[in-house]
Amino acid sequence: MAFFAWLQHTGLAMWIVQSDSIWAYPSILTAHTVGLALLVGAASIIDLRLLGVAPAIPVAQFDGLFRFVWAGFYVNLVSGLLLFASEAADKAAQPMFMLKLALIAGALVATIRLRREAFAAGGPPEPSPHARRYAVTSLALWAAAITAGRLMAYVK
Amino acid sequence: MNDAVVWLSTTWLSSHMRDLKWMWPTCETLHFIGLSLLIGGAGVFDLRLMGFMRRLPIAALKAFMPYAIAGFAINLTTGVAFFVMMPAQYAFSITWYAKLFFIIVAGLNAMLFETTLGSRVLTLGADEDTPMSFKIVGAVSLFSWFAVLYCGRMLPYLGTGN
Repeated sequence: MAFFAWLQHTGLAMWIVQSDSIWAYPSILTAHTVGLALLVGAASIIDLRLLGVAPAIPVAQFDGLFRFVWAGFYVNLVSGLLLFASEAADKAAQPMFMLKLALIAGALVATIRLRREAFAAGGPPEPSPHARRYAVTSLALWAAAITAGRLMAYVK
Repeated sequence: MNDAVVWLSTTWLSSHMRDLKWMWPTCETLHFIGLSLLIGGAGVFDLRLMGFMRRLPIAALKAFMPYAIAGFAINLTTGVAFFVMMPAQYAFSITWYAKLFFIIVAGLNAMLFETTLGSRVLTLGADEDTPMSFKIVGAVSLFSWFAVLYCGRMLPYLGTGN
């Protein structure tokens, strides 16, 4: 816990919390929302296709959307680390934050597995029941991660 | 306007919604899920209109539109709920009016597309580039939706007059 207390008192963390600048906390928070939109937006389109929406388009042609999933993820990893640093001691001890991290980890595993299952070269043109289960899991876990993230502000 | 804001915030509906402790966090959560659906569905269509991701045939991409529209409907409903609960936070915020402005731009842009250019979508195959008119419509839509997101998230911090 000493580490989190130190982190919270670094110059950068103090600036994020205390600065009146629009570029401090508000912009980092907004970047986190833009990343969320890219990540969950692109992931939902992939998931919906695997679940049968737009059957006229072969699954493989949606492969380009994964770059938005990863771009959104890295934006949120960086902005999330900055937001965490600013309240490190509190967040490190908050069960709702741990739940959010676990849900994100689960959603990432589902996303990686569904890509391997449904987007492998020479794979079947239509998604397997496995791939569809990963798609449902991914949708549910991203929605749950968003919920946990929001509730972090209310359930301390 | 002051009177209208005071009146709304003292109505039975407004005060009872505020009294329900779970109402605000629930609406917020739904608002974030709705924005993901909206930006996901509209974004992929806009990028294709702009000429990116040409492997995706435009006409068939319209199958995702009901999900984008559902996301918008969720956010309109929860957005109205926010306003009913805390009218002063919005009615006196320049950022909120900017948000409404960009929602109207995105809506008119989509209507313009549907009524004048939309039928040309059907003649475009996969791998085909889009005409300049499509690129402009796609760029205006994508910019407007991210501007809506930006204004919404910045609302507590920007243009509140504090």
